[in-house]
Amino acid sequence: MDFPQFLQQLINGLSLGAIYALIAIGYTMVYGIIGMINFAHGEIYMIGAYIGLITITAIGTMFGCPAWLLIVSALAMAILVTCCYGWAVERFAYRPLRGSPRLVPLISAIGMSIFLQNYIAVLQTTRDLSVPELITGHLFSFTMDGFNVSMSNSRALILIVTIALMATVTIYIRSTRMGRACRACSQDIRMAGLLGIDVNKVISFTFIVGAFLAAVGGVLIGLSINKINPFIGFVAGIKAFTAAVIGGIGSIPGAMLGGALLGLIETFASAFLPTEYKDIVAFSLLILILLIRPSGLLGRPEVEKV
Amino acid sequence: MKAFIFKAAAFFCGLLATTMTFAQTTQTIKMAVPTALTGPVAQYGDMHRAGVRLAVEQVNEAGGILGKKIELVELDDACEPKQSPAVANKVVNDGIKFVLGHLCSGAFKPAAQIYNENDVLMVTSTATTDELSTYGYKLFFRTIGKDGQQGPAAGEYIVKKAKPKKLAIIHDKQTYGQGVATQVRKTVESLGMKPTIFEAINRGDTDYSAMITKMKQEGIDFVYYGGYHPELIVLLKQAKDLALNATWMGPEGAAVPDVKGESAEGLLVTLPPDFSKEPTNAKITEAFKAKNQDPSGAFMMTSYAAVQVLTDAIKGANSEDPFKVADYLHHNKFKTVLGEIEFTPQGDWSTARFDIFVWHKDATKTLAP
Repeated sequence: MDFPQFLQQLINGLSLGAIYALIAIGYTMVYGIIGMINFAHGEIYMIGAYIGLITITAIGTMFGCPAWLLIVSALAMAILVTCCYGWAVERFAYRPLRGSPRLVPLISAIGMSIFLQNYIAVLQTTRDLSVPELITGHLFSFTMDGFNVSMSNSRALILIVTIALMATVTIYIRSTRMGRACRACSQDIRMAGLLGIDVNKVISFTFIVGAFLAAVGGVLIGLSINKINPFIGFVAGIKAFTAAVIGGIGSIPGAMLGGALLGLIETFASAFLPTEYKDIVAFSLLILILLIRPSGLLGRPEVEKV
Repeated sequence: MKAFIFKAAAFFCGLLATTMTFAQTTQTIKMAVPTALTGPVAQYGDMHRAGVRLAVEQVNEAGGILGKKIELVELDDACEPKQSPAVANKVVNDGIKFVLGHLCSGAFKPAAQIYNENDVLMVTSTATTDELSTYGYKLFFRTIGKDGQQGPAAGEYIVKKAKPKKLAIIHDKQTYGQGVATQVRKTVESLGMKPTIFEAINRGDTDYSAMITKMKQEGIDFVYYGGYHPELIVLLKQAKDLALNATWMGPEGAAVPDVKGESAEGLLVTLPPDFSKEPTNAKITEAFKAKNQDPSGAFMMTSYAAVQVLTDAIKGANSEDPFKVADYLHHNKFKTVLGEIEFTPQGDWSTARFDIFVWHKDATKTLAP
């Protein structure tokens, strides 16, 4: 593979990984604080995509706004509504079960995931809905050694927004009062509670941040592939969960690294091997990484908290 | 108290039994229409149902068959092999003897076995995989060509007309997509062209840019895709984004109104000939249009014809016994909207053919040059 092709695949892989990483942060933050896998997180992403589409359709048909305004309002609306979903899922399906054995909230999460998927399927039908092509054109497109390397605007937007959001989340967690409370809770939730941190508030906050990022991911992917259905959350959720595990579940930089890595592995596996092998390669690597580093690339070894 | 509950239960059971016998003696012939009412390919289900419904309406208006009206029972398998056996069992348990479907090859395969074991007659107007007619089912018929006819049509067009420098064939690993892609591969190889890439994608994935970049690197100028439209739409768009200069071609499962826009312009599809253009079908075409349906949809006419052959055979055999009807189907010619149809001993339409169409950005099609 020559350099221009390599460059193109790098762009492909990073923009694929960006979406994984955005969703993976939701998994990892929740796990870091309450030690459970929120399997409904993929559905939250799917709901974000639907709210985005509904907003675009509603505003677009009413006023005929410019594209950028449509995108901004779709993002804003999707974030608002999806955060409510994230909060509500935690409030109704997980909080009442907080004292129970670990398996109980896990089953509740799977139930929630099936509920949300079917709820959207009933409301919006299971058909593919097409999202209008609002973002067209290319950020850059040049020819190098007779090979055209390009990046479409929709992919560029995904990458830029993802990097910006991740930087914001990292800074927020590192340097604000709420961020400090989050870190305290992830170290020892009972002790944090005893020291006067409102644990319920911190947990709600985590779910809201996760939903926020997933909503952005949902809207952007909708705008990029121009079709959505109620089942997109499942595949995306599994991949993002994998990314979170590779990076070390519970660690935010780990989720970012894991997302990027998974995107790149899939892309290059499909570049060098027949495409049907890409998942085999990606998941073999997952097993390998976990064999060598059971807590993921950036994860800290788990101290048993029961 | 206990005794009372038992009595009440017995009473209700009795009540149920009476309603059941009542239902069985009503004067209708039930036909099941297992199709996709939901799921990503429900658009094909719409065409399938529209064709069947119109034909049945017209038969019923003309007085039905054997003095009975036809009653359609529409069932949803979402095109999923996981769901279709449940649908098939329901058909069998309800005592329905005739099936107009299933819609998708993959979902039909497990269901067809259940129908075969329970003596249910099947006429599909949409499922094209060759496999279905290789199991020796005595009660299986189809009013559409099979991939063994569709693949070669596409393959010959590729080698003789399109003449690409480098060919890629990809599919979605499903019964239908892989089946037709393999047929195309066989045909082009027998004509002396070797595909540069023969690969599979995952159904439901949203990013195929790595594979498209690879095609660009290999200098692919023609891509055949075996599969359904949801993945094809994404493939076409990403190919355009990455400036892959290739002509795309797909089977009849790729031709739905959702395939539209700049990226879909120039897509080639193999489809049954456009029977809605036949002058003899003008009345039926009008009837579809009166219902605001597009008569040129890939499965409208084939589904209409499925009802025609089935009702004609029931009339001709003067019986509702599936075996007598099948016997009649095997030994007679039928006048349908598809022209005159005859079935092979395997139940395939003997003279089926596929035409090559060019798809346009407004989801219309024209015959390929």
